[in-house]
Amino acid sequence: MKSVIKGGDAFAFVEIELEKDEAVIAESDAMSSMAADLDVQARLNGGFFAAILRRFLVGETLFVNYFSNNTVGTKRLTLVQATPGSVRCLELKRETFYLQPGAFLACTEGVTVGVKFAGFVSWIAREGLFKTVVSGTGKVWYGAYGALLERDLDGETIVDTSHLVAYSPGISLKLQLAGGIFSSFFGGEGLVTRVTGKGKIVIQTRSLSGLVSWLNPKLP
Amino acid sequence: MQIEFMHQPGNTAARIALRPGETLTAEAGAMIAMSGHLGVSTSTHKKGKGGLLKAAKRLFAGESFFLNHFSAEREAGEVWLGSALAGDMMQYELDRQTLIVESGAFVACAHQVDIDVGWQGFKNLLSGESLFWLKLSGQGPVILNAFGSIYPIEVDGEYIVDTGHIVAFNETLDFSLTKAGKSWVSSMLGGEGLVCKFRGRGTVWCQSHNPKSFGKSFGSSLKPRRA
Repeated sequence: MKSVIKGGDAFAFVEIELEKDEAVIAESDAMSSMAADLDVQARLNGGFFAAILRRFLVGETLFVNYFSNNTVGTKRLTLVQATPGSVRCLELKRETFYLQPGAFLACTEGVTVGVKFAGFVSWIAREGLFKTVVSGTGKVWYGAYGALLERDLDGETIVDTSHLVAYSPGISLKLQLAGGIFSSFFGGEGLVTRVTGKGKIVIQTRSLSGLVSWLNPKLP
Repeated sequence: MQIEFMHQPGNTAARIALRPGETLTAEAGAMIAMSGHLGVSTSTHKKGKGGLLKAAKRLFAGESFFLNHFSAEREAGEVWLGSALAGDMMQYELDRQTLIVESGAFVACAHQVDIDVGWQGFKNLLSGESLFWLKLSGQGPVILNAFGSIYPIEVDGEYIVDTGHIVAFNETLDFSLTKAGKSWVSSMLGGEGLVCKFRGRGTVWCQSHNPKSFGKSFGSSLKPRRA
């Protein structure tokens, strides 16, 4: 399987070349184009119960699509997320990684996608009460609105609410005011997330909630 | 006519250098800057090519009723064009062929290119694309825009493109609406719904992103419109 992420940071999309008998699992409606002889099957993601959980807790769709190549040749598949922005590929080797609701795009077989309680801190920080857990061995594609910044963390850092996209299991979240009472409420930052631990964190440079609060006052 | 794109694919602008005597026809509202001495005229049609009827048809296709013509009469000049949506632009050189363009994707063309509205049948009612398509034919460059990156697919046989992702395709291709994969139930449950299956030999240009999907991702958080 060969895969390339094209389109830069603004409009990233994933081009995958599926060899014979290879398959990719993608979020619903992620397919932008594909070879006509690839097989597509809608599947409940990770069994009925897990799929229901994913649907209602992280707002992912009930079904995911299973694209498989049952021909002899190499077939192309193009996947994209709904929002403009960056897409990253994560190579898991018997590892686990956490994704924010909506960030998951696709994965190879061998990766399990589940749901985990993220805690009330995460919820108040507008990162969702639950998070998507990807684990196993294989590739995972995820993305966000805006470009993605990756940081290796050992210690702590502060991230604005609704900007954290993904983090490794060694990371924990705490909520705090951005500064003093005055600067927190008038400086436009309000609450921020204090991220502590050792591992990788991924931050998006824009947020949909930011776009919405910019648009709303301008609507007629 | 020299065409050059800048800031692809995020916020593309096209710079068109016109030689004396050349005229560029652009969608109304596309001009962002131009040389001061260029002649500008607005019409509902290409001079001597159809008239109000074609303009009315274009309106159906979701394009503007009016077209602007920028002419460099005695002196060379340049025009900069942009589009409303963030995204990529592409250039296609027509050489006595026909290009079918998703209405809304058209930005500009050389004056001698003929713009007509084509009917692709009732399948478009269901396809989520617009009912009418633009048919560009003749000779000269054409500029198109899209939401997201544009990527070409060389079709030889069959290829599937999701609805909402088509920018343009060669007339040598034909498409039908169908299901993704083998089963209708699967295609509906999987959220792909109807897809367009292209047949024949030619190129289809796709936009990486689907404006409707983007709209869905935050539309419900927007405040309701006052009646």
